[in-house]
Formats: sequence, C-alpha cells, structure tokens
Amino acid sequence: MAITEEATKELTKGDAVAATVEQPLGILTRPTSTKGWKSWLTTVDHKRIGILYGGAALLFFVLGGLEALAMRIQLATPNGTFLSAETYNQVFTMHGVTMIFLVAMPMAAAFANYLIPLQIGARDVAFPRLNALSFWIFLGGGLFLVSSQFIGGWWSNAPDCGWFCYQPNGGVIFSPSRGVDYYAIGLQITGIASLISAVNLIVTCLNMRTRGMSMFRMPVLTWMLLVTQFLLLFAIPVITVGLFLLMFARLFDAQFFNVAAGAEPLLWQHLFWIFGHPEVYILVLPAFGIVSEVIPTFSRKPIFGYSFMVFSGIAIGFMGWGVWAHHMFASGLGPISVAAFSLSTMFIAVPTGVKILNWLATMWGGKLTFNTPMLFAVAVVSMFTIGGLSGVTHAMAAVDTQQTDTYYIVAHFHYVVFGGIINGLFAGFYFWWPKVFGYKLNEKLGKTNFWLMIIGMNLTFGPMHILGLQGMSRRYYTYSGGYGFELWNMVVSIGAFTIALGVLTFIINIFYSKRKAAELPPVGPDPWDSRSLEWMISSPPPDHNFDEPIDVHGLDEFWHRKYGYDDDGKVIAFATAAEVAQTGDRTDVHLPSPSYWPIVVATGLPIIGYGLIYSLWLCVVGGLFVVTGLFGWAQEPADDPNAVHDDHDEPGDDGDDAQGASALEQSSTEEMSVDG
Amino acid sequence: MNSRSGRLAALAVLAVVFLAGCASDAPLDSLDPKGEYAQSIDNLFVPVFWVAVVVFVLVFGATIVMWWKFRVKDPSDDELPAPVAGNTSVEIGWTIVPALILGIIAVPSMALLFDIRDTTDLDNDYENLDVVVVGQQWWWEYRYYFDGFDPDVDDFDTPADIVTANQLYIPADQEIPLYITSRDVIHSFAVPNLNGTMDAVPSLYSPWKIQADEPGLYFGTCREFCGLSHALMRTQVAAVEQADFDIWVGQQRQPYTAPDEQLQAFLDAARDPDAEAIEPTTAEERGAALFRSLCSSCHLAEGVNDDLYDGAELVSGAAPNLTHFSSRSSFAGAIFELYKADGSADTNQLEAWIRNPPAEKPADAENKRGMPDLGLSEAQIDDVVAFLMTTGEEPSDFIKQETVVE
Repeated sequence: MAITEEATKELTKGDAVAATVEQPLGILTRPTSTKGWKSWLTTVDHKRIGILYGGAALLFFVLGGLEALAMRIQLATPNGTFLSAETYNQVFTMHGVTMIFLVAMPMAAAFANYLIPLQIGARDVAFPRLNALSFWIFLGGGLFLVSSQFIGGWWSNAPDCGWFCYQPNGGVIFSPSRGVDYYAIGLQITGIASLISAVNLIVTCLNMRTRGMSMFRMPVLTWMLLVTQFLLLFAIPVITVGLFLLMFARLFDAQFFNVAAGAEPLLWQHLFWIFGHPEVYILVLPAFGIVSEVIPTFSRKPIFGYSFMVFSGIAIGFMGWGVWAHHMFASGLGPISVAAFSLSTMFIAVPTGVKILNWLATMWGGKLTFNTPMLFAVAVVSMFTIGGLSGVTHAMAAVDTQQTDTYYIVAHFHYVVFGGIINGLFAGFYFWWPKVFGYKLNEKLGKTNFWLMIIGMNLTFGPMHILGLQGMSRRYYTYSGGYGFELWNMVVSIGAFTIALGVLTFIINIFYSKRKAAELPPVGPDPWDSRSLEWMISSPPPDHNFDEPIDVHGLDEFWHRKYGYDDDGKVIAFATAAEVAQTGDRTDVHLPSPSYWPIVVATGLPIIGYGLIYSLWLCVVGGLFVVTGLFGWAQEPADDPNAVHDDHDEPGDDGDDAQGASALEQSSTEEMSVDG
Repeated sequence: MNSRSGRLAALAVLAVVFLAGCASDAPLDSLDPKGEYAQSIDNLFVPVFWVAVVVFVLVFGATIVMWWKFRVKDPSDDELPAPVAGNTSVEIGWTIVPALILGIIAVPSMALLFDIRDTTDLDNDYENLDVVVVGQQWWWEYRYYFDGFDPDVDDFDTPADIVTANQLYIPADQEIPLYITSRDVIHSFAVPNLNGTMDAVPSLYSPWKIQADEPGLYFGTCREFCGLSHALMRTQVAAVEQADFDIWVGQQRQPYTAPDEQLQAFLDAARDPDAEAIEPTTAEERGAALFRSLCSSCHLAEGVNDDLYDGAELVSGAAPNLTHFSSRSSFAGAIFELYKADGSADTNQLEAWIRNPPAEKPADAENKRGMPDLGLSEAQIDDVVAFLMTTGEEPSDFIKQETVVE
C-alpha cells in the first residue's frame, strides 16, 4: 500500500486557499483543478477514469463497427469488389482486434472502475494514480494500433493475420507489411494497462470494502469483475510472452516461429489460446455481472441463489484455464489431448447454465418491468443461451471438425460476444446512465435501439450458422456463386446495417436525452428502486462518493434500508430512497490529488513502439518520457503542500466520519481490513 | 406480444431451416454427407442440435411465459413480490441435470472422436497406399506413395509415385489414409461431404482419412486463414470406380509422353544434350520449348523438363507438378475449369491465367508467393496453352461436367 494516495485537498475552497500560499515544490506540485478539459488529463478520480474508459471504448466501437460494415458490403454479393483481398484481410483483423481489445475489455473496465468502489462503499480505488496510468496506457496502445490504418498509406500497414495471428502466417515472410509489428507491440501496450488495472482492482476489492461489507456481501457484479481481474492477472502475461516472441522474431530475426529453423508453429497457438480462452470469460463475466444487477432490480426480487451465482462465476474462472485447446481440435494434437479438452469444454457449460437458470428463477414470481435495461438483460439470457448451446455442438471434437473455421464458429462467438457481452454492456449503459450523468436515457429511443439491435443481431449472426454448415470458411474476402451462399450473405449484410442503425439510435439518444433532461425533474439517487450502495448517493455521485462510510449488514444493504417485513412476513416499504440516501454535500473530505505523471509515462510507450518499427532512436525519446514520468511520479509530493489539514480525523476516532475521511489515509488499510 | 411471439416463430422456422433448408445446391454442405466419416459426424451432430433446440425453446419459452405472467400490468400496484433468495435443492438439481445431459452426450462424442482419428487398418485394396496432402499458398498438392509413407523418416521431398495438384483421385467406397502437412503457413484441408477438416501444419504430418460411398466429384476448401488468396484455395476430390482409378494410376505414374511422334521427337532432341536441336515448327513444339526454358524455374513436368528443374523459386519451394496437367479438370487452386460442360477444352481462362496470374488471383508474386506475370506475348501464350493441352488423358465426363465455378 505504499502508493496509497493520502488525503490531499479540500473539495470546494482548496483552490482559493492554495492561491495564497507559496508553492515550494515548483513543477512537482500536484495539479489541483477539477474543472475544465485539462482536469480530465490529470484526474485520478475512479469515476472520471471510468467515464474516460467508456467514452474511448465507444469511439473504438464505432470504428470497429464501420469495419464490420465494410466487410458486409464486400460480402453482400458474390465476387464483391468493394475491398481488395489485401484490404479485406486488414479490415477483418482490425475488426477483431478492435472489438476485443479496444471495445469489450475497456467497456468492462469502465464499469469496473466506476462501480467497484461505489458498490463496496469505498472512497476510490486503492491506487488512484495507477488507475489513471492504466487508462492512458490503454488509450495510447489503442491509438497506436489504430494508427496502423493510415501511417504509411491508407490501409496498407494494418495487421492482416487475423486477431489470433497464427504463425508462421504472421511472420515477416508471409506478412511483410508493418501491420503485425503494430499488432505485437500495440497489444503488449494495452496488456500493460490491463495488468495495472487488474492489480489495482483486486487490491481495491480485497482491502477497500466499507465496514461490514464482507466478501460475500459484495454485489454479484463486483464479484464477477473481481474474478475477471484475476483472469487478466494470469492471462495477460501469457499473451505478452507470445507477443514478445513474435516481436523479436519479426524485428530482430529471433526465429521463434520459423519452421525452417526448427520451430514448432503450434507453440504460438498454445500461448495465444492459453490467454485467448480465459479472455472470453474476461469479456463475458462483467456482462454476466451487469445482468445480475439489472434483472433483480426490475424483477423487484433479490438475485436467486447469490452464492451459486458467485461460485459459478468462480468456477468458470477456474475451468476457463482448462479449455484452451478446443480452439485447436483440428490442429493435429493427439486424440487423447483433444478428448481431455473436449470433456472440459462440455462441462464448463454447467456453471454457465446455472447462471442462466438462476436469472430465470430471479424473474419467476417477480414484478417485471420491461424497460430498456431489462430488455437488454433478458436478451443476454436468451441470446447467450444460443451461443452457449452452439458451443456444446463444437465441444464435441469430431463434430467440430465440420464447424471449425467456418461461419458456424463466427455465428457462435458473435452470439456470445454480441448476444452476451454487447447486450449486457448496453443493459449497463441504460441502467447506470442516470447514476453517472444524472439523467435517464429516453425510453422510447432506448426501446427502438433495443429492437433494432436484437433483430439486427439475429439477422446478422443467425444465418451465419447456416452459411457455416453449408461450408463457407471464415475470413474469405470473397466467394463465388454456386455454393448456395448468396441469399444468406445478403441477409447477414442487411442485419449488420440494422445493428448499425441501433447503435446510431443509441448515440442519438445520448444527446437527445441530455438536451431533454433540463426539462425533466432530477432523477434523484435511486431512479430504479435498486439494491446496492451506488444508488444510496446522489446522481451523479459527488467526487468523494460517500459522505459517511456505510455500515453494511447484509447483501442488498440499500434495499434493506428501504424495505422490511411486516408481522405476516410481507414486504413493506418503510423508507423512501430520498430518506435513506446520502446528500453528497459534504465538503471537507480529503481526496487524492490529480497528477500530471500518469499521462507522461503513458505517452512514452507508443513512442517506443513507433521507435521499434521505424527508428530505434525514437525509443530513446519514448524511454525518456517513461523515465521522466516515473521519476516525477516517485518524487511527487504525496500531498498538495497547500492543502489544509486542520479537519483531520484521528484514526480510531469513533466519530461518524472517521472511516470516510481516513479511508485513504495512512491507517486506512488496517482499519478497513479489520472491519471488512 | 405480437413482436415477441413473431420472433419465437421466426426462430423456430430458422431452426428448421438449419437442417432442412441448407440449400441442396451447396457443394460444401457439411449436412450432406457422402461418405462414412461425414455420415458419422452428421449422425452425432443432428440429435445434439435438436437437444440444443429444445433447451433453447425451454429457456426462451420460460422468458415469454414470465413476460406474459409476471410483467407489471398495473403500475399503481406497489406490493412487492416475496423476496425468494434461492432454493438450494432446486439449484443443486439444475447443476446436476445439465451435467448429466452433457455426460450422456460425451459418451458418443468420445467414441466418435477416437474413431475418426483412428487411421490404422483402413479398408482398401491398396495395402500400403498413403496420400500426403500438402497445402501451400494457395493450392493443394497430392503425393501418392504406394509403398507407404513414414512421417518419421520421409517428408514431402521424398519422391512419390504420383504427384498431382488440385484434384485428389480416390477409388470410391474405399478408406484412404492421408497425411496432412504444409510447405509454408498453416492451412486446413476440408472436403465437408466426405470428412471434417484437418489442419495442414508445417512440421507436422497429421494422420487423417477420407472415403466416398459413391463415385462423384466432391468439393473442398481451405479452412484456416492462410493469407491473401485464402478464399481462392479450393480443391476437388474425384472418387471413381476402382477400375478407373487403376487406369488413372497407370497413366499418372508415366512421365509425359507426347500424343504424336513428331512432338515426342522434338522433345527427345531437346532433352538430349548430344542431339542436334530441332527448330520448333508447330505451336505445341514452340510451347514445349518455352515450357522448358521459362516454366522450369518453378514447374516440373516429368519427361519434359526434369533434366532442368531444380526446385521451384518460390517461398514454399514448390509449384504444381504439370506432368499430367490436362488430365485435371481444374487449375490455379481449383478455382478455374479447364473443360466446358460438354467436355470440350476451354482455354480462354487458361490463357487469361498465363497472361497475368496476379490479376486473376491475389498473390504476392514479387516476394515469390504465387505465380508472377511473365510478360508473354499472345503468340507465346497460345503456344504454351497448346503444349499444356497435350499433357494428359482427358478426365472422365462426369468430372468435367461437375462444376461450381460460374
């Protein structure tokens, strides 16, 4: 906890005070502004970082979606000429890389950053500056990857080897452009961001819980995000090893994957999928967590089988490590290896099935409100079920040999990633939007958005099952007539544009609802009659989150403060949310100061990346950024020297605000872990 | 209500379309097995597919029922439902039941897996025949070893009894062992009517097998992304009666022999360093001379340029063996047909191919991946085509007639 930020600044009057005091440390003084665009560059507030993650991911989502549309124009008719083979191969690679590494992962990170501290009643994450560093490194890595599309020519230097970039096809002989270099370096950079974030959020979950918030009182979402962080912590190093070998093979002739030099090309596949399969759960568990918050709220019932939900998530987290070779059933592994992975793959369906059934049981007997977040959440249940069931058909390894690398697989994983993950994330957007921005998204546009997306996705990915079974291989830049592919490819393309309309509706909804919000009454702390702690504070939450630390007595603490039971055991409301919620108007809470250094350190990494590709001298420049940044970081005063400290609460003081104010101070860990 | 039940109906229709509606004119259809291996896979897939449909209908049906039954109909009614937080025995139940269903599915799945991977004791009349299938950017080579192929000792440079490309000939109703490998990147050999796919991994010789119940031409493709022309890396399997197969083998094992004596004499003279050179007088002779001088840098034709050929100047080290080129009905990775449906030769496409291959099929010819534009004159192209059309017995009519290329 050495890096734990100490309390530093006053919320409202600190700036005014600062102006009158001398600045003894010059440039090393921490920035103080919390207003204006510049404050977003230096912020260490987990909520703002969450918003940054979400905003960046949405922009990348639009980019990845445009790539999908380009592919669908090309494939709408046989012998399409919209894209050349060369361009198409780059476009499908960037679509996959973008959607997985620059959309699904950071969108989950947005929810994790924003919600974990709120759901466990914490002031911030454990390491706020590392949190900022994680975001800026992610953004730098993402922009680095995307820049490959135009540096050195429009779509001539983007990776063209598929998102899993099998070797030796991704080697310098078979992929002579710079694209795979961008891939290998860019993903190492975003991997650093994921690792930092994983460590940060794990420590946050373990150490920063408020009084009484035992592990098994954490909301299911926080649990799923915690499991996700552990998966990241162990999975990212594996792909980093692979990417590192690939980078050295391509840039410095290291021969790791050169068959002529004695290499075994399946090594890459193992390294990639040992990461790649846990990655699937890294992507889907956060969505499962979101659904587990939305469905109880709009069923007005607690989650059915909390501990089964948590333990099935943990089980998926463990079993997820034992299924990677199901991506390699046709690669020539021996039949006994294949049999083992085939069995483990079948049985990972069990904990997933438990989740589906528990969601249904949560709804059973409830009072269901089918508004937009609920519709998206229910869509996850049925659409992910399709993806899971088609997964069972190719868990049977022999059957998989008729399906692998066909559109049947493309259909399968899009029902998982779109049906499960994107729908889940959209449920989360509509659900937490009022909490984060203080206004609800319009319901009518929301439902339009939902139906366009759900119909669009079924038109897009449903027929892909048929195309796959009819023998259309994935990653074809074109196809001839005469294979029976024409009709369904046209349907798929129409579906893709329907999805695009849905996403467009969502973007319109954001701006439309913001404009309308001024005419509507404020949403208040708890617009949905929810259950967890983030709804107990104002919307949007104050910078300091909680005025007072919350004493937690059980699962769904907030709900239990609103509702109780009468003598017959019937549920009755005995308090309104407004009565229970905190006002957020406290002004004397110490918060970690913003910092210049995370963005400085992060800037260095893509520069090093360009240096590795184009001129090693640039690496020196990038290295200077990193070293200077880290030096400044280490030398940065833990406090703003101008902060006023006279309202300091003593740790152990049993006063009402002791926990809140001291949570981020020197004794916070001991105190919180004792209580937790 | 309407949109939802409509959706349910649509999904049910879709489910039926899956099995019944997969178009009958889909030559790569995996649900249209034409051999015992593809059949055994189909036999496992179809029942599990229906189990999956039932599970989905139950899950989705439950959602619809709950929408019908439990949605808030009267917003003023603010009574809350009983906060049922779980039921351990129910939950244990629905942990065990799916596990049992999967356990039941696992049994035939495991049996089939070991069955389909077992390439020993195959039932055929060619005791030691092994066919090595070599993928490369962007075509398939087939190497027949009638005395057996031992992957521990041999490799794809071991001289084979027959070397051919694009079209794999097999005797119908016989189980033929294959070894799948690659000369460059990873490919995957799929002929869905006959068996599932097996990756072609450089450095591995993966045992696989193929069988067709009836004579016919079956279509195949590359499954694993392998670069620029992955979409144009096709293949065909010609299953023929055993007698026809034996005839084909007899022809293919011979080096090139000219259809007329004059051309043969011309070639013999060209191949004999001590003989006096003969001036070419016919298109075939000019074509043969050009083939020897130009095509030898990549293509081998036994009996034509084996005295000159010393490996292909390509990344993969091989280009299609053209000894019996015109005995195959397709070329350039099986994307173009050499014969019209009426059985006559169709040389227009072949001329276009020789005129400028990268324009016909994406390749990276300047980096020695794929056939380059050789800059031949129209007269030269006509000569080479004339010569190439002398290189083999025409294939059977049914092979020439079956086509999916438009």
